[in-house]
Amino acid sequence: MFGYITPDKPELKIKEFEIFRGYYCGVCRAIAKQAGHRGRFVLSYDSAFLALLLDSLNSAPVSGKPGRCLIHPLKKRFMVDYGDVLEFSSDINILLAYYNLKDKWQDEKKFFSPLGLLALRRGYKRVKKKYPVLVGDIEKGLSTLHELERSRCGQMDEASEPFAGIMQKVFEYPAEPDSVKKILGWIGYNLGKWIYLLDAYDDIEDNIKRGAYNPLVIQFRYGENENVESFRERIKKEVEFILVYSLSEMEKAFSLLDAKKNKGILENIIYRGLLEKTRQVLEMGAGCDEKPL
Amino acid sequence: MRNPYEVLGLKEGASIEEVKKAYRELVKKYHPDRYRDNPLSDLAEEKLREINEAYDYIIKNVGNGQQRQSYQRKQSTNTSGFTGSYQYDSQMVYRIKMLIQNGNFTQAQQLLDSIQVRDSSWYYLQGLLFLRRGWYDRANVLLRRAVEMEPNNPEYRDALNRVNSQYYGYRHNPYYYGSGYRQSPDMCSICTTLWCADSLCECCGGDLIGCC
Repeated sequence: MFGYITPDKPELKIKEFEIFRGYYCGVCRAIAKQAGHRGRFVLSYDSAFLALLLDSLNSAPVSGKPGRCLIHPLKKRFMVDYGDVLEFSSDINILLAYYNLKDKWQDEKKFFSPLGLLALRRGYKRVKKKYPVLVGDIEKGLSTLHELERSRCGQMDEASEPFAGIMQKVFEYPAEPDSVKKILGWIGYNLGKWIYLLDAYDDIEDNIKRGAYNPLVIQFRYGENENVESFRERIKKEVEFILVYSLSEMEKAFSLLDAKKNKGILENIIYRGLLEKTRQVLEMGAGCDEKPL
Repeated sequence: MRNPYEVLGLKEGASIEEVKKAYRELVKKYHPDRYRDNPLSDLAEEKLREINEAYDYIIKNVGNGQQRQSYQRKQSTNTSGFTGSYQYDSQMVYRIKMLIQNGNFTQAQQLLDSIQVRDSSWYYLQGLLFLRRGWYDRANVLLRRAVEMEPNNPEYRDALNRVNSQYYGYRHNPYYYGSGYRQSPDMCSICTTLWCADSLCECCGGDLIGCC
């Protein structure tokens, strides 16, 4: 999870913003419940979106109440109550964050990764036991991903396939019946594709500097003497096509979903937030520094 | 049957005009053409059927028996996708199309791999297959190639046009106004621009803003 899935905040109603933040807080608390307070640092907007989306299928109104938390002790905030949806979203957050940290440690030897891994270890083990089939699928997807990285795959479609497949599996996992499973799966697949490629574009400069794998650098044949800025500019159109097309496919799937609540926020994210994020990353490499809400 | 007003996203007791407007928009949204290359096309069809039924019901029971004119049942022949309209396909091409349409990608890919001569129809079919699988970058390249090889083929052009219009349709969707207000000039730059314009006018002997 990378934290790219955010609403277009100025266009949200204040009420909608508070509900979105309520899911965000809810996921955070659920993580603390599963992985301890030290696990909270992995919280990401993407899992708040997952919770928002999955919960929209239940017709019961959003249940939650104002409360305080460790990080914001002074002001009471609306928080969504713990339930199946929050449990699943936070578990996925822990799981993907764990794999992400492990990756970073193996590839980049980032100093803080082992500390993070240690903090998440307990939560990860619990989650793994809870969803053996899903975790098996995710790990299979990750090993395909690593293989493609090792063989330096230079094709956007192929390189993004494993991560898209993982997200498809994650999104369709809790859904019922089959038609909803299919819809959520297609939302997940296309979001996964978008996230993977947006991240690849975002990381171009860093990856070139370190000589790390990046499918875009290989596919579009980055020349040694080329300026990174002009390279980004040169490939922008083609990358934008696949990013926006993936989002448009996701929008179609979303149109078929019978969302019973949270519609305004979801539409804000799907029709505005994601496009805005795409624009930001393509234009200026906005980074994905996740600021807490 | 679900409440027909709910299906159309309206409150009960909405006027006939509102019903018609909502109906038109929903038909556009779930039109089979829009879902032609999408794996969820069957679900879109179902949704459209539900919308048609709801609309028919309201018109029959509320609006004195008027018939719906805008969108007749002709879509039922249309929804079968690319099969009906182009009948000059060889058997192989037809088989691959059916496989792609039914979501049987592995078998379609096997057949495509077995074809030695890669003419425009091969590029077209491989492009369609990639499009359905979610490999949009390659799909786009291949479809463009097919159109380049045979620019007068309406089927290939249609497919490419669908891809492009989907891309532009979403990118410029009415809810998103691009960078809009984020790029609009702030007060400071408006003032400086005015000041510059005034100075330029003064250089030429005129004056834009009298007081300075």
